[in-house]
Amino acid sequence: MSKEAAARSLQEKVSLTLFVVMGALALLSYVTLQSVVAPAFDRLELDEAHTNLIRADRAIRNDIANLNAITGDWGLWDDAYDYVRGEYPAFEDSNLDRPTLTNLGLSLLAIYDERGDLIWGQLEFEQQEGDIGMLGVLNRKNETSSFLINHTDPTGQVYGLLRTNLGPMMLSSWPVVRSDGSGPIAGTMIMGQFLNDARAASLRDRTEVQLDWTVIDSTDEVSETMTVPLDGSGGGSILHETSRTTVESTGVLTDLFGTPLLVLEVSTPRKISALGNSTVDGALLILALAAIVVALVTWWLLRQIIVSPLVGLADHITSIRKSGDLTHKLDDDRDDEIGALAHEFDKLTDELHEARKLLLDQSFKAGKADTAAEVMHNIRNAMTPMINGIDRLGKNFAVTDKLKVKEAVAALTSPDCPADRVEKYFQYIDSAFSHIAASNADAAENLTVASKQARQVEAILADQERHAQVAPVIEKLNLDEVLDEAVLVIPKADEPEIELELEEVIRDVSVRAHRVGLLQVMGNLMLNAYESIERSDSDSGRIGVTVCEETVDEQPMVRLVVSDTGCGFDEGTSEKIFQRGFSSKEGHLSGLGLHWCANALAGMGGRIQAESEGPGHGAKFHVLLPAAQGG
Amino acid sequence: MNTQTNDDSIRVLIADDDEHILECYRDAFGGSEETDYIKALDALDAELFDVDNEVEETPRFDIVACSQGQTAIDKAIEAAEKGNPFDVVILDVRMPPGIDGVEAGSRIRELDADVEIVFVTGFSDVPLDELERRVPPPMKLHYFNKPLSFMKLAKDVAGMVGAN
Repeated sequence: MSKEAAARSLQEKVSLTLFVVMGALALLSYVTLQSVVAPAFDRLELDEAHTNLIRADRAIRNDIANLNAITGDWGLWDDAYDYVRGEYPAFEDSNLDRPTLTNLGLSLLAIYDERGDLIWGQLEFEQQEGDIGMLGVLNRKNETSSFLINHTDPTGQVYGLLRTNLGPMMLSSWPVVRSDGSGPIAGTMIMGQFLNDARAASLRDRTEVQLDWTVIDSTDEVSETMTVPLDGSGGGSILHETSRTTVESTGVLTDLFGTPLLVLEVSTPRKISALGNSTVDGALLILALAAIVVALVTWWLLRQIIVSPLVGLADHITSIRKSGDLTHKLDDDRDDEIGALAHEFDKLTDELHEARKLLLDQSFKAGKADTAAEVMHNIRNAMTPMINGIDRLGKNFAVTDKLKVKEAVAALTSPDCPADRVEKYFQYIDSAFSHIAASNADAAENLTVASKQARQVEAILADQERHAQVAPVIEKLNLDEVLDEAVLVIPKADEPEIELELEEVIRDVSVRAHRVGLLQVMGNLMLNAYESIERSDSDSGRIGVTVCEETVDEQPMVRLVVSDTGCGFDEGTSEKIFQRGFSSKEGHLSGLGLHWCANALAGMGGRIQAESEGPGHGAKFHVLLPAAQGG
Repeated sequence: MNTQTNDDSIRVLIADDDEHILECYRDAFGGSEETDYIKALDALDAELFDVDNEVEETPRFDIVACSQGQTAIDKAIEAAEKGNPFDVVILDVRMPPGIDGVEAGSRIRELDADVEIVFVTGFSDVPLDELERRVPPPMKLHYFNKPLSFMKLAKDVAGMVGAN
């Protein structure tokens, strides 16, 4: 997985997690509100509807009770008693007129004698006077009439709802007795009130319940769930049907015989559920807003505290991997685990950087040592036959040098030469010339071998030169690190006393160079400066290093200037100071030399210059190197 | 490989991977004919001109030369089996591609505790104390750096076996 993908993935995972958590929270809240809070409102609403129906039932029963009380007042009245018995005819004029019915709110007033004959009766139906017979329930031969009219108990009374031909009616029937309740029963007093629209409106006004009723024509119309009639005390079957805006509650009212007569209907507006719904909606909206705010704040905090630092760490690692620059630091000063991770990572890169430097140094030195060993071995092998040949030449020349050919010729040409020695002189001369010839031949052979071996040495050196041209590793280097190591080459001798000044800005400047090569160049310049001061016979001196950044041929470069107060050099020296084999140090051939330094810097894309105001005025060496760009 | 035999000679086994070096060994350790020629000239010189030339008595060497360490070991084994072991073994340290001279010297030392072992090399990455440990004893171990005079080496070798 690439770095960019990993960073996106982390952010996406955090965002997705927050989204899922907040979504789950919102869903849980919605389900809770809908399954717990909203039904609670619905139950309250049904309770209210139930109560409304009970209130409507009780209101009707209350009206029946009031009617029964009025009927009782009239039945237990001496004047009425005397009137029924025919002893007080004026009762009719003084009490039984139409305004009386109107004042009492009655639809029916009927007075019967002890035989059940109607003495006086009046029916008002739809604001018009009607015949009592229209009711169909107070006929003499009717069982219902007999039940209502023929009382046997002076305290007996009958009241309740009654089905009539003109509609349901509240009806009360009392025996007519004296005011003190004593009999005998003179007749029957019956009063009734229709359950009509006016009554319904009156009931609605008084109860503030939207009530109405339907007359049951047959028991088949009664729902199976309303088998128990309302009893006025809250008992009885009540059916609730809920529409979008109302709860329709119904219950059954029976007549005074216990037969279902009316379906009482109460319509309760769904204000409570509407309030509940708006409450739930408001709560959901607030929860959703809170969830969004919490999610955003949490996401921002996670991003600031965790995601961004981790992405920064990943970017940093990728940057190091791409650039290979182990000096690049996170420098995160957070005091949490991520800060500790960044700190540990910085330490790790530090250690890795040091290990890499050490490895480079060791591999460089090991490579150089191996190369030197190989070169030494091969060159020494090549030189051995040459030395052996020279030994042979020397040996032969030593013999030749001792030959006395001239003396032998002189002895032969002398008249005094003994005859017995002539042959030996000739033998000596012959042997001498044979030796000279053999020596010449041997010398020629040795020179051939020497020439061949010299070419072999040249071939070894040429091969080494090719290997030396392998490009060194160029990397970003902090100058302060290089100089801190380079100054270690300056001997810690007591004299001369050297003052070393490194410009502070060096710590902020980096170059691109071969680390070991630059280290050796700077070490060489430091050592040269020290030795120059030493040769100046001064008791003290100063070596300074300054640095500045400049642009050369549109390339950003860094100029390092190593200056000393040593013996300096003249103009003639400055022209050849970087030539191969040149040294201003008398009889001194150690060290890599400025020629090597110039070549090494050229291999790094840099260069070196030297300047001096003359002998005794010190010297400056300018080192120009490519600047390191960015991290 | 070159073999010269002489009953009075010093038996020397030489191993070096450079043929030019081997030729130098042959010149330095096998020049008895040339020495005889110079001796005759010196004798005439003394007779005819009354010159008292001190003719240096040069030792004679019986040399066996090879270019690999393993060959040197084989030659040493063969000589020991024939009851005619080498007096001196001269070894180069680096003789690629086979075993190096130190290993060869160590194995030869196991065969012959008295043989003088000489290391002659252009470069050795084996420290001297390790050489002494692997090819003991130190008094029978010698070390020379190339380049060197093989004539002087021949004298030194003769000195090692007391035949100077």
